[in-house]
Amino acid sequence: MLKYIKDIITGAITLLEGMAITFKYMFQKPITLQYPEQKAQMTTRFRGRLVMPVDEEKGDNRCTACNICVKACPNYSIAVERLTDETGKPKPKAASFTYNMGTCMFCNLCVEVCPFSAIVMSEEYELAVYDRKSLIKDLVAEKYKLKGRKGKWWISKFKDEEQV
Amino acid sequence: MTAFMQFLKDLLYDSGKAFGLIYDGGHKIWAGFNLPPLTLDIIFLLIAAACAAAFIAINALFIIWFERKISARMQLRRGPNRVGIFGIFQTVADTIKLLIKEDITPKAVDKLAFFLGPLLVMTSTFMVFLVMPFGKGLIAADLNIGVIYILAVTGLTVLGLLCAGWGSNNKYSLIGGMRSAAQIVSYEIPNVLVMLTIVLLSGSMKLGDIIAAQPTVGYVWMQPVAFIIFLIASNAEINRGPFDLPEAESELVSGFITEYSGMKFAFFFLAEYTNLFIAGALGAVLFLGGWTGPVLPPFMWFMIKSYFVVFLLMWIRWTFPRIRVDHLMEFAWKVLIPIALLNLVVTAFVIKFH
Repeated sequence: MLKYIKDIITGAITLLEGMAITFKYMFQKPITLQYPEQKAQMTTRFRGRLVMPVDEEKGDNRCTACNICVKACPNYSIAVERLTDETGKPKPKAASFTYNMGTCMFCNLCVEVCPFSAIVMSEEYELAVYDRKSLIKDLVAEKYKLKGRKGKWWISKFKDEEQV
Repeated sequence: MTAFMQFLKDLLYDSGKAFGLIYDGGHKIWAGFNLPPLTLDIIFLLIAAACAAAFIAINALFIIWFERKISARMQLRRGPNRVGIFGIFQTVADTIKLLIKEDITPKAVDKLAFFLGPLLVMTSTFMVFLVMPFGKGLIAADLNIGVIYILAVTGLTVLGLLCAGWGSNNKYSLIGGMRSAAQIVSYEIPNVLVMLTIVLLSGSMKLGDIIAAQPTVGYVWMQPVAFIIFLIASNAEINRGPFDLPEAESELVSGFITEYSGMKFAFFFLAEYTNLFIAGALGAVLFLGGWTGPVLPPFMWFMIKSYFVVFLLMWIRWTFPRIRVDHLMEFAWKVLIPIALLNLVVTAFVIKFH
């Protein structure tokens, strides 16, 4: 009999504790992000699509057309063409960097192997397009400008390396 | 002019007097045309019924929006906020969608029972509004057995749910209907015992007398245990909250409403939310003093108090997880009924020897 009463009282108290929590939550600010209007700040290591940003100091991208990323890509999504001068001698510079987003699986391997930090995964995540052809992009011709937190992070990546 | 202002004031604060004026005036004009007075009475009744139906529809629209908003805030979400200001027209849009949807009747159903299910549920819900005291004199018929009438009429809901469950010819629906019948019958008992306590205190079953007999703060201070039992039992009776076993999504798809679509589904939905309001209104009438209150018109007080109880019920629903079937029955028979009985007996002794 005593246990019966005790059970009821402890049950009621625990229920009230739960109700107190929901009541407290009711006056907190909602954490919902109103998506199309507000957008989330992605973390710096977020893997959006591949970009080849323009280095402001150099005034150009940092690619040397070394083809390491092409070898690293498991899906053959990258094709690099080297720039040549008038005599046909190759220059350490990419004429075109063809990136096929349709076959890319955003594994980040190409970014990791790049010795010059020339390519990086951007913060973009709304990547749907109407036409399959527009998935294939030439990153050299695009002249992408990486801004914000991710841009700073990218600059610090090769600045630190140069100092070492 | 002053007479007209007085009439408007009466309409707000003493509706019975104003409606009496309208009724007498109408009958005088009707007698001028040499028509039998019974026809006018029928017309008045139909108008009152139409008003009640309109109230049910609009109230359900609001209460669904209210519930979605409350549940959203309790889960740190925003809730509907796109259609209209604060998303208040979201439910209107949903209703229009339901109205233009196809009404499917599956091949294997028992046609009559399938059709009767939503009809009975809606009818029993609608009938409660006969004795609902919305304000001073704003009551269709203040029956002297009001409490018994409400219990009898809400008990009819079980028939509708059983009809729907059986008629759907589907094991999930059948289990849902059976569970809901068992649940409603079990939880009717503590509810009746609690209402009996109130009847004992007020000495009348007439809702108007119960309101009049209450002290200004209501019976809730004299009967806190009864109020809590009432909240739990009515929550179980309207198949909501932690007691929504008849439509437990994870086990029974959607219980007895699985096979319904379009307007029939809307009927169940409407009945569910109107029942929620009825539970709130009963709580307000029996425990919080009904429409009595200072300054504001009685109707406003009635709505405020009803929505306060509705909020309590929603709070319970969005806090607790669903309980198990055997626990549900155990809770009713081993906890609620003994406490309610004890409460009744103690109240009776106190009234006798006080």
